[in-house]
Amino acid sequence: MLTNILFHTAIAAYFVATCIFVVYLFTHNERVVKTAVGVLTAAFVLHTIVIVLRWAGAGRTPVVNMHESLLFFSWLTVALYMIMLVKFKQRVLGAFVTPFVLLLIISSSFFPKTIIPLAPVLESYWLPVHVVLAFLGNAFFAIAFFLGIMYMIQEHYLKKRKLKGLFYILPSLGVIDELNYRCLQYGFPLLTLAIITGAIWSEYALGSYWQWKPRQVWSLITWFLYAALLHGRLTAGWRGKKAALLSALAFMVLVGSFIMINVILGGAHGISLR
Amino acid sequence: MSIKTGAGAKTPPPFYKRVGRKVWLFFNSLKLTLAVMLTLAFAAGFGTVIEQGLRPAEYIRAFGPKWTSVIYYTQVNDLYHAWWFTALLALLCLNIIVCTFERFPPKWKALLNQKPSGKFNARIISNCSHNNTIILATELDKAREKVLAVFKKKKYKTQLTTASDGHYIYAWRGTLGRFGSDIVHISLLLILLGSILGGFYGYKDNKIVYEGDTMTVPEAPFQVKLNKFWIDFYDTGQIRQYNSLLSVMENGKEVLKKQIWVNEPLYYKGIRFYQSSYGSAWDRIKRADIGLLKKDSKRIKTTVSVDWGKTVPLKGTPYSIKLMGFAADFAYDNATKTVFSQSAETKNPAVHIEIYKGKEMISNPWLFLNYPGIFPAIPDSEDDLVFAGFTGIMYSGISLNKDPGTNVVWLGALVMGLGFFLAFFITHKRLWIYIKSEGNSSEIKIGGFINKNQFALEKELKDIVHRIESD
Repeated sequence: MLTNILFHTAIAAYFVATCIFVVYLFTHNERVVKTAVGVLTAAFVLHTIVIVLRWAGAGRTPVVNMHESLLFFSWLTVALYMIMLVKFKQRVLGAFVTPFVLLLIISSSFFPKTIIPLAPVLESYWLPVHVVLAFLGNAFFAIAFFLGIMYMIQEHYLKKRKLKGLFYILPSLGVIDELNYRCLQYGFPLLTLAIITGAIWSEYALGSYWQWKPRQVWSLITWFLYAALLHGRLTAGWRGKKAALLSALAFMVLVGSFIMINVILGGAHGISLR
Repeated sequence: MSIKTGAGAKTPPPFYKRVGRKVWLFFNSLKLTLAVMLTLAFAAGFGTVIEQGLRPAEYIRAFGPKWTSVIYYTQVNDLYHAWWFTALLALLCLNIIVCTFERFPPKWKALLNQKPSGKFNARIISNCSHNNTIILATELDKAREKVLAVFKKKKYKTQLTTASDGHYIYAWRGTLGRFGSDIVHISLLLILLGSILGGFYGYKDNKIVYEGDTMTVPEAPFQVKLNKFWIDFYDTGQIRQYNSLLSVMENGKEVLKKQIWVNEPLYYKGIRFYQSSYGSAWDRIKRADIGLLKKDSKRIKTTVSVDWGKTVPLKGTPYSIKLMGFAADFAYDNATKTVFSQSAETKNPAVHIEIYKGKEMISNPWLFLNYPGIFPAIPDSEDDLVFAGFTGIMYSGISLNKDPGTNVVWLGALVMGLGFFLAFFITHKRLWIYIKSEGNSSEIKIGGFINKNQFALEKELKDIVHRIESD
């Protein structure tokens, strides 16, 4: 009950934060963005309490159904943004991340909130390790995606030689690009670790580290796309549009496959015992 | 290409060399890498959309005969083992190998056996994207010592060249980071090697074992016995875990006993045993309860439990009963005159018994749990027997997997971790420092390059400048 009230209050807070961020995008007012970040922080605190309560209530990592997964992933994304905020002072990035998180947490409310006991295949120490690594990697990719969009917007203003609008609040191309690389620098090894821990877990639970199951195949596809992106960036020096487009494609595949696999095959990547 | 001098220039290089060069260049291109990776990503997706390994009839039902022939022609029904998918993977491997050969040796020479570069042009510093100038109120040699001390403390390697116009210092660290990408590439080859080893020298199998039975293990000098299978439930009634208690038997002796469950296999002499399915036996039970009653009566007078294959006397009567057979879902095949179970579910359980009076077998009927008394069990007698209940036997589905390549794959994963660490988190920083005398003080110019992560260099330079300026 308490969890439910807090959950809905958090959604409301994210909604308010999104609105204030949108106002900021038009007004470019420093005080407005500070308020937005304040409201976002409050929403994040509420969100954290919801996660902790659910964790305690279930007695396990709350990541075994769609509601929990979306709740947890959105929480990690905000947490990561908060860290970047402290480290790099990029407030404007919040204007892109907050609506995304709002979308995730609203979607989570459409799925059943009942706490279900663990299926036999999920009863493993790998559950928290594997899932946290995977979601953390996804959170980095999400932020990389938004940085790619920011890069393209900023580049648009510079190319058109129109120094107006968002130009004044977006960071310089160099800074955006550097942050983007930093996200990939963490996201890609995390994705790889998620695939490897998944393989180890699969070896123990199903008898084979690789079975070409849809979840494995799509994670490999995502891995190939991000590997291509990294090669393009590091070896061919891609910046801007090319990098942003491939980053967007990879992120779409990542989100799309996550939704499809969970909705069509069900939890635990559709793996169960006959 | 036209070369005017040199003995070898008279004739162009032989045909095979030119082709070889072209082939080498083809495999040594980033374009190939990107093309293969994107193609692999795109192709792999099909295997999740079109279900793998179905029978032809099922494809025809789903896609029609025309598309089914396309599916078989392109081997999309077993896409991940199709020749062209394997070829794409091989292409990627070749690409990796050629690129490593092309890039690794020169990198190794240039980075690890650094020859003293001596005096460099001081303009290199102002060309650096990150550079600083500091004025220190000390004489030249003291400034030099100070700078060298700071770099030593920060674990940089340094190279000092003193010239008439000042000191030239080259400082660097994190060279190993440059090899991260090569290590990641080699780890990928290791993982692929492991999977190939598994494909050639391993096997996968599925076995069904009844409780109390022993199964043979292919290519192994031991057997595995299933002592017991059971399911754990949550309080809500949901299944919590499937368990089997297994014993490894060598020469008839138990050498190892282990409880396995999903996520906890048994590992013995290179073979893993997994809990993969379960069920109750359809052609066998542990024991049957047989009741004795008078014909035309519903009341059972006595009941006896008969173990599988055993003969048990029915107390207070002249009869003995032997338990011969069981069918979970009784069916009779008229053509072959045999009894069988038409499903694995206990829809119509029936037992086959032999009834003895003294030493003589007087009848061998099938008795039905759901239809007591439809056929008289003992002909020409007041007495009748009914099938009153039974204790079934569970079976456990055990998957076997022998994969000698697994450890190579894990080794590859470890190497990959190391590679990523070097590639992403160890940055190769190179700094050039020029110190010259400016009256009573010294001017220090510092500039640097980093292979990635510009923020890190910016921070590093700030720190270095701060350390040099402070006492």
